[in-house]
Amino acid sequence: MSIQRALITLNSLENGDRGLAVDSRFQVIVTVMYLVAVLSVPLADPGMLVWMFVYPIVMAEASGTGYGRVLVKSLWVLPLATVIGIFNPILDHTPAWHIWSVTVSAGWVTFISICLRGVLAVQAVLVLVYSTGFYTICTAMQRMGLPAVLTTQLLMVYRYISVLLQESLSMSRARAARGFGCSSYPLRLWGMMVGQLLLRSVERARRVHNAMLARGFDGALPAPEPKGLRAADWIYLAGWIAAFALLRFIDISGIFGNIIDPAS
Amino acid sequence: MSHHYIQFNDVHYRYPGGVEALCGVTFRITHGEKVALLGQNGAGKSTLLLHTDGLLLPASGEVNVGDVPVRKSTLKLIRRTVGLVFQNPDDQLFMPTVADDVAFGPLNMGLPPDEVKRRVDASLAAVGATELAGRPSFELSGGQKRAVAIATVIAMEPDILVMDEPSANLDTGARRRLLDILHGFGHTMLVATHDLDLALELCPRAIVLDRGRVVADGPTATLLANRQLMQSTGMDIPVSLSAYLDSLLQGIGGGEVGVEVGARILK
Repeated sequence: MSIQRALITLNSLENGDRGLAVDSRFQVIVTVMYLVAVLSVPLADPGMLVWMFVYPIVMAEASGTGYGRVLVKSLWVLPLATVIGIFNPILDHTPAWHIWSVTVSAGWVTFISICLRGVLAVQAVLVLVYSTGFYTICTAMQRMGLPAVLTTQLLMVYRYISVLLQESLSMSRARAARGFGCSSYPLRLWGMMVGQLLLRSVERARRVHNAMLARGFDGALPAPEPKGLRAADWIYLAGWIAAFALLRFIDISGIFGNIIDPAS
Repeated sequence: MSHHYIQFNDVHYRYPGGVEALCGVTFRITHGEKVALLGQNGAGKSTLLLHTDGLLLPASGEVNVGDVPVRKSTLKLIRRTVGLVFQNPDDQLFMPTVADDVAFGPLNMGLPPDEVKRRVDASLAAVGATELAGRPSFELSGGQKRAVAIATVIAMEPDILVMDEPSANLDTGARRRLLDILHGFGHTMLVATHDLDLALELCPRAIVLDRGRVVADGPTATLLANRQLMQSTGMDIPVSLSAYLDSLLQGIGGGEVGVEVGARILK
């Protein structure tokens, strides 16, 4: 992904699609409940995790984000999940499933669970950020009573990525303009560029901070007064919590019939 | 109504690297005055502007805004009184949308939602950017960003407007619109600029800085017509004034702009 594209994506995430007219605090709560539900599924039961895809699919489509966009972005977590779970199939050979004539070891089952958990967790957060916007999420968390120092830090770190990317883009263009088509540079040059990037982005961040101070910033995000909660907000919250309980505690796969036989 | 003034008394400032940016700066800008701050790069203009808002505090000397000295304990009040527009609008605009950005200052002031909305609407209308309210700041053109940056500051309804290079990187159309906007403001105004034509048109008074010192303070047209001063401080006589002075030398009558400017010089 080019720096320019990353920057545009980051900027669009800042504001979100705002496709859902639901109170942002409830969206944060539902996301947290979903993560708890996903992480509480036993590693030996990835079948239950498959049903958990219902939430990101429904929410991505309802908010107008589109599930395809969320799916593609969420796959970036797979290398990390692989690193975490790669030793499971190597170390645990206990038979867990028989799928027709194939026996699957418990190591592979838990590995699949780890990958699914990672993808689902990232999808839930992506859906939240795409539909709500990062700034709104931070102010929602502040309104829910989280310390301002935490929510402001979160937003500042996020903003710093944007500053870093903008400075990288400027440097990358300046380098390309005088690079005469050369795409490879000695390590020493890269080292100097990274150092320059740090200095430039710190300086830029200082200027942005000055602009914030000049407009009365005192360490806490200025959050607009929350609108009153409506019936739709409560229905959204209660509906999803009920759905998560259903997906977590009811064996839906069993209702539709099993093609997988647990190994005895 | 004398409380909207800025007073610098023998202000010194040295950057941590050792560069002395301000060396005994003294001047007073009174209520309603529009003053241009001139000087070449590195003369100390931006450093001086940061002192007006308390973003830098003097190493020695004193800055007063109205009857209030600029100190750590008075920063809240100072920043309500002085609105600072930064040189690069990209540094000034950091919120998701234009409306969010303009609302940032009033929300920090703890104003109620209705008043915040009124100020956002009024400020955007004042700079002709009402239709940009819902747009992300990063998508705007240079001229639009500059207008919105000014709106973010006037939404706080400051008494004194301080601007760093407001016409930098603007095309002629955007520059003209900016000038029209600034002409409409009744604020006390301090404008640091390299755009000498803008200084001539907007500000009746100018202060010239050179290596951190005030080397001239007086009517803008008089200072800008002073070839010796211009040369010694690394500036050129602005095109509009230069043409008039040349025409005077040749014994030919000046143009419309020249006559007005010339009247000030001849006084």
